[in-house]
Amino acid sequence: MNTVKQSHSSPTDQLDDSQKPHAPKSTSAWTWLNFLGDVSKSEVDVLLLSMAFKFLLFPAYRSTDFEVHRNWLAITHSLPISQWYYDTTSEWTLDYPPFFAYFESLMSIPASFIDPKIVDLQNLQYDAWTVIAYQRLTVIISELVLGAALLRFIRVSVDPSRQRILSASLFLHPGFLMIDHIHFQYNGFMFGILLWSILMACEGRKLASGILFAVLLNFKHIYMYLAPAYFIYLLRSYCMSPAGAIIPTRFISLANSVLLVFLASLGPFVLMGQLPQLLSRLFPFTRGLNHAYWAPNAWALVTAADRVLLQLVKHLGVELVVNESGIASTSRGLVGDTVFAVIPNIKPIHTFIVTIIFQMVYLIKLWSAPTYKSFVAALTLCGYASYMFGWHVHEKAILLVLVPLTLLASENYAYYKTFVIASVAGIFSLFPLIFTPAETLLKIVYSFIWGGMILYPLHKQLYEFPSSLPWVLLESFENAYLYGFAFLQAFVTLFPLMTGGNPDTEFLPLMATSVYCAVGLIWSFIRLSTLYIIQQY
Amino acid sequence: MDEASDVMPSELPVERRQRHTRDRTASLNSLSHFKSASSKHIRPKSTLRNRGSNASMKSVGSDTDHSEIIAPIPRRHLLQTSQSLHWLRVDTSSGDEWLNRGVSPVSASSVGSVFPNNRMSNRLSFTALMEHERTTVGPSSTADARILEDDQGNIGAGRRFVRWMHRNNMKNWVVPSAIAASTLVKWCIGFGTYSGHNRPPIFGDYEAQRHWMELTVHLPVREWYTYDLQYWGLDYPPLTAYVSWLCGRIGSLIEPSWFALQASRGLETGGSKLFMRATVVIFDLLLYIPALYTFVCAWQGTRSSRKRHAALLTLLFHPALLLIDFGHFQYNSVMLGLTLLAINAFAAGHDLFGAIFFVLSLGFKQMALYYAPAVGSYLIGKCIYLGPVHGTRLFLRLALTTTLAFIIMFAPFLPPFSPLSTIAAPIIRIFPFGRGLFEDKVANFWCFTNVLVKWKHIFASREGILIKASTGLTALGFLPAVAALIFGGYKTRLQKDAQNHSVDVSPSMAPASPSSPTPILPLLPYALLTCSMSFFLFSFQVHEKTILIPLLPLTLLLSGAAPTDDVFLWGALGNNVGVFSMWPLLKKDGLGLQYLAMLILWNRLIGYNPFKLRYGHFAGLLSSVVHTVIIILHLIELAVTPPARYPDLFPVLNVLTCTPIFGLIWLWSIKRLVEVSWAISGLPGKREKEPSSTVSAISTTSSSAMFGHSPMRGEMGVRATSLGYASGRGRGQADARRRALVTSAGGDQEH
Repeated sequence: MNTVKQSHSSPTDQLDDSQKPHAPKSTSAWTWLNFLGDVSKSEVDVLLLSMAFKFLLFPAYRSTDFEVHRNWLAITHSLPISQWYYDTTSEWTLDYPPFFAYFESLMSIPASFIDPKIVDLQNLQYDAWTVIAYQRLTVIISELVLGAALLRFIRVSVDPSRQRILSASLFLHPGFLMIDHIHFQYNGFMFGILLWSILMACEGRKLASGILFAVLLNFKHIYMYLAPAYFIYLLRSYCMSPAGAIIPTRFISLANSVLLVFLASLGPFVLMGQLPQLLSRLFPFTRGLNHAYWAPNAWALVTAADRVLLQLVKHLGVELVVNESGIASTSRGLVGDTVFAVIPNIKPIHTFIVTIIFQMVYLIKLWSAPTYKSFVAALTLCGYASYMFGWHVHEKAILLVLVPLTLLASENYAYYKTFVIASVAGIFSLFPLIFTPAETLLKIVYSFIWGGMILYPLHKQLYEFPSSLPWVLLESFENAYLYGFAFLQAFVTLFPLMTGGNPDTEFLPLMATSVYCAVGLIWSFIRLSTLYIIQQY
Repeated sequence: MDEASDVMPSELPVERRQRHTRDRTASLNSLSHFKSASSKHIRPKSTLRNRGSNASMKSVGSDTDHSEIIAPIPRRHLLQTSQSLHWLRVDTSSGDEWLNRGVSPVSASSVGSVFPNNRMSNRLSFTALMEHERTTVGPSSTADARILEDDQGNIGAGRRFVRWMHRNNMKNWVVPSAIAASTLVKWCIGFGTYSGHNRPPIFGDYEAQRHWMELTVHLPVREWYTYDLQYWGLDYPPLTAYVSWLCGRIGSLIEPSWFALQASRGLETGGSKLFMRATVVIFDLLLYIPALYTFVCAWQGTRSSRKRHAALLTLLFHPALLLIDFGHFQYNSVMLGLTLLAINAFAAGHDLFGAIFFVLSLGFKQMALYYAPAVGSYLIGKCIYLGPVHGTRLFLRLALTTTLAFIIMFAPFLPPFSPLSTIAAPIIRIFPFGRGLFEDKVANFWCFTNVLVKWKHIFASREGILIKASTGLTALGFLPAVAALIFGGYKTRLQKDAQNHSVDVSPSMAPASPSSPTPILPLLPYALLTCSMSFFLFSFQVHEKTILIPLLPLTLLLSGAAPTDDVFLWGALGNNVGVFSMWPLLKKDGLGLQYLAMLILWNRLIGYNPFKLRYGHFAGLLSSVVHTVIIILHLIELAVTPPARYPDLFPVLNVLTCTPIFGLIWLWSIKRLVEVSWAISGLPGKREKEPSSTVSAISTTSSSAMFGHSPMRGEMGVRATSLGYASGRGRGQADARRRALVTSAGGDQEH
């Protein structure tokens, strides 16, 4: 009987996920989650199993960001609000916008009950079990915002079975695992707000979308990378009629709401006259073009080219003007100004102009096609352009690209392939963040499992045969590039063992990672830009 | 005969359809059997004819004869099932996946665990099912039911994951990804602290293992068991020492300071921790995981690949073992893996390999002795089963192999290599009778009763009596297992004529050679459980970690059970309580978080909600109560510090909670032993009474004939069929079908 049953259900196997109401009678223990619609058992599985797994990561390696956040807990708890942006007890001064400071202040209240030493300002480098457990737990709990947003995405999606895979992929994203649960940050929470905002846009509640984005900006200002797309989208599709006439009521309500959000955030500091100090903390223009480890963007390639040219000059005696101060720079991986040896130096204004030019292109397209899909693509591309050409971009910023890009992944095969290349290169580019041996195994195996579970089913559903020879070639190149990561990982692992930690070549694996990932990310950027520009919305 | 040919065509479509789906879900091992079985294609026809004519003569016109005739037809499907399961008397030839999948020696009363209690049909034989299929349920409604089942079904995350993977065409990736994920989890447990972390001067188990690597690398073999016994002297059998030596050598190659003699004591650098953790994970990957995989193949070969994958998941994330091996730090997975390999070898009929594996297991950790009575009596039972000639031959072979294996293992301590007196040191070290009845608080009989009866106090000067008492109680405790296995072997022993018959009918069925498994095999997991639990409860000098040993057979049984089974409920309860019983230890090691995480993970994975009220199940209700108590104890422990008078208040409460559960599991395992052995040993007597022509005709194919008898043996017998079908529950629904069963299969006498 069973066999017959199976043979009958097999044609619907692909569809039943979408057709059947998932878990029509959810178990009573989870009914409180009903505002998300019925939470199916498999969704609870993902939540609980990933939570259990993240518990195991509590004792794992954590970066200085952990101490940064502990210090912020102490600052916001023990100092009056007027001192928050002035305190310099620790070198890790508060440099996030006020909402995040409020958020830390909120979290510091339970912390003070659990262990008063956590919020002791002088207690630097505190690493007792209580503070580790507490801070790690706050990450897991605040990440539920992300989980809730992703669940809502499934509920409103036209193809829940695909969206379920995409949602799971984001919730279990190796980027979040590495940055939030090992390295330590609150990206899951922030991106949760971003996704809520995008979700509101998807549901047509654009005012809410704008407000949420304003809130997000006041949590972490790096989301300014995405602001142009929001501005154009809301202006064009919310504040204007399709014909192009401004709808004043909407415009005013949006402007007022956003202003109100900013007032709630910055208001107290404006009143205290601390705005300049706050802004100087938020936007320190003293850093170099590249971070210690070059984020794999366009400048990484330029810097690498400079290094190669320098070697040519040294060894082949090619006549070029060499900037002496640039010889020592960059390859040592110090935080500071990058000085090129051969290529003319790049100033912040250059990066700014290039970024704006690229963004303008997408924004014009968005202006002409202000739909939701177009908005998400433009949003992704705005983030992408900033990542590619920004000043002192950190490799963690790749999440700004990968998260919205995931929402586009199931569009069609072209988008999917772009997503695959960007994800693989982007996640690999985060690997150097976690460099301790024990966690190295974790990040590789986890990313591999994630890739297999997410990419394979999507690939199966979306694959299209390439239509002509150039496309076949292109696809083989892309696949070869993806397989190359195995060799890259082998190189990165084995090279230090072979050279025995020679300081002259220490930087080489990082440089190789950066350059190789940059190639993929730039290619993916070109792909996505082209797709967006040529697509009819 | 005519009738048979008439019926055939009408049934063909169904059959073909079934074969088709079976192909689709064909398991990994199906291909290998393809060739071997294809040669037997010719035989079924004659069987069919015999059977058909027989049936038509006996009961013409009855509504059961169709199914009776059809039953042997799908014999061709032999090629899709594991041949090693013939011994189970499971109708491996039947194309029906319900029967094929559900029956396993481990899941005594679970057939078709996808469909919980609301469906009785899953407990029926192939014949009855065919009938049922034909008459009542239309295919579309069953498909709907299945989808509904997905959502409401009482299945765990593991099953859902496996199902999702299969649907997305990633069937072949289930096992690799499950192994990768479990390895990842094990590795991440290793981020935590270990036994004796940062606790000089003596540290803990981690330091013991590291110290053994240090001393084996630097000292000659004869000094291994005598070197500085006060500081973690070696007290495990030689295989541990050899393995330590190997690890020590490799580690010294990487970084000599990790294992420098004396200088490295208490070494806790990141690098050495990483190396030590890695060795556990690597041994786990090399031994334990292959053992689990082969277990699932050898013991559950007739189940669907989905169920086998889910069973593998259940076993891979076994929380107690993971916490102790990868958190606390020990190499139990090596010992358990070797025992498991031994059991698998028995199931595959390779008794000598099994014996060698078991000796290796004993040679790695003497705790494997807890299994020894069961393993030994299984082998003796098998010798008896084979009869005087083959049995004696097997016995001699086993004796020789075992002795040789022991001698080889202890060779470095024996005369040609060292003076005879050297052997005394390891033996004395391995069996520490001088250390008292019990040390820490451990959830066994002695510690439990110690609350009222102060054993150590009463018998302060007469330790000998206590030793004798504990030995006697232990022996009494495992006696049922020994008796069941030996008696089972005796009852099912091969009769001369029966043997000839079965040889005539089908050589593959003839269990005459020592290489084929015995009918008493289904008893083995229960016997292992009874034995090891009895040792845990009553024997001398037990550690709380030793609960891992009874938990292994319990988890093996659980992995083959449906979520509504008794086996499942007891297994899940036993595991959770087992982990809880180690809570004081884990707390001391700083593994509280890992404890919580693993419990959540594993319970969710197997789909066990401890707090769900299960009326009508003793184990289910007990579990709700016990888990509530456990939660309350944890909460109290969080909130209250124990009064100064009773510093051990919480460990004692822990013991008081856990011991009764372990005792009940022990009793339950004895009950199951009786049931299963009843079912097994009841069969041959019946068979003798049957007309021999029928036997020869049926014996190859008709598991239904075998099982058909059992309902007549009363309810216990029914439940014990071990092979599973008609479980006692829901008898009302099943009555008609059971009657059909009886008449169709064993009904010769009734008519």
